[in-house]
Amino acid sequence: MPQLDPAVFLPQIFWLVVIFGLIYLFITYNAAPRITEVLERRQSKIASDLEEASDLQVKADEARILYEKSLEQARAKAASTITTKREAIKVDVETQYNKLSEKITAEIAVADEKIKVAKEAALDDVQAMAADICKDVILSVSGLALDEKVIAKVVGGKFTSVKGNVNG
Amino acid sequence: MASPLAQFEIKTLIPINVGAYDISFTNSALYMAFAVVAIMVFMIVGMRKGALVPGRWQLCVEMCYEFIANMLHDTAGREARKYFPFVFTLFMFILFANLIGMIPYFGFTFTSHIAVTFAMAAFVFVGVTLIGIIRHGFKFFTLFVPHGAPMALMPLLVLIELVSYLSRPISLSVRLFANMVAGHTMLKVFGGFVVALGFFGIVPFAFIVALTGLELLVAFLQAYVFAILTCMYLNDALNLH
Repeated sequence: MPQLDPAVFLPQIFWLVVIFGLIYLFITYNAAPRITEVLERRQSKIASDLEEASDLQVKADEARILYEKSLEQARAKAASTITTKREAIKVDVETQYNKLSEKITAEIAVADEKIKVAKEAALDDVQAMAADICKDVILSVSGLALDEKVIAKVVGGKFTSVKGNVNG
Repeated sequence: MASPLAQFEIKTLIPINVGAYDISFTNSALYMAFAVVAIMVFMIVGMRKGALVPGRWQLCVEMCYEFIANMLHDTAGREARKYFPFVFTLFMFILFANLIGMIPYFGFTFTSHIAVTFAMAAFVFVGVTLIGIIRHGFKFFTLFVPHGAPMALMPLLVLIELVSYLSRPISLSVRLFANMVAGHTMLKVFGGFVVALGFFGIVPFAFIVALTGLELLVAFLQAYVFAILTCMYLNDALNLH
């Protein structure tokens, strides 16, 4: 077995130390720091990206809450506007109704008064006419010329009761 | 036919002698250089962009890095972090050595030399022991005292612990060395059968294909085992059980 020949030990060990030392220095001072740097850069990039994403998420949530709040406010405002307007319209309608109904009532009262006056005037006319007719009838039948006042009293009594009934 | 062990022959390429010591540049050293160059190319080319979203090669480099980083962290805790470059280098060096050794006609596997594997294991062993002693002082030797064992058995148990601790570099180096030697010898032996059997050589040939797959797995696995055992020894030294 050539490996067990002591003559091959020293040259191999010598060159092993030299060459292994070389690659050790290369890896320690060049390759390993370079790889570490790349890995750390990637790690920090991932971390910062995740952080940014979570920040944006928070902002989106805030915006959504703001939007919902303003929507709620607008809804409440619209509801209150509707209520106010409805109240105002109701009040307005009532006022106008009252005014109109007062006016109508007053007009009805005036008209009633007019009717009453006209009716009385008409009844007075009928009374005078009745007294005249009475006088003429009595004259024709009995030839008596009665005093107008007497006739009027008799006839008037009847009419007064009629008139009372009319007013009632 | 050449011996299946001929592939492990060390050939001197540039003879160098310093005093009485022979430090010739051999084929073993050449393949160490190949492995190192391959690692450098792999890492420099892979990380040349250092992109935020890695490409294929960058991903490979990062996977190797994170594989070892996680392993070290899970096995030896956060304090072992400063030894990461060493463990990472060790893993990459053994992995590339094993993989380069698997290239047909080209490969020479210097991890199939006990001198190399033992030098690495001994360095790990001495380093870890020194770390433990510097860190914990005399308390480090409580590592050899098992918890909750009966007092009467203590001398025996401490002896067993000590022996098992001292045999760590041997088991660590022999495991890698033996796996590599066995795999490559087996490939060579069956390769010889392919030629010898003529047409029926297709049977050992199919076997070699399967064995090559297995050997690639072993190449990775042994690098992994060497690295994770280093992590566990580090854990013992840093945290004392």
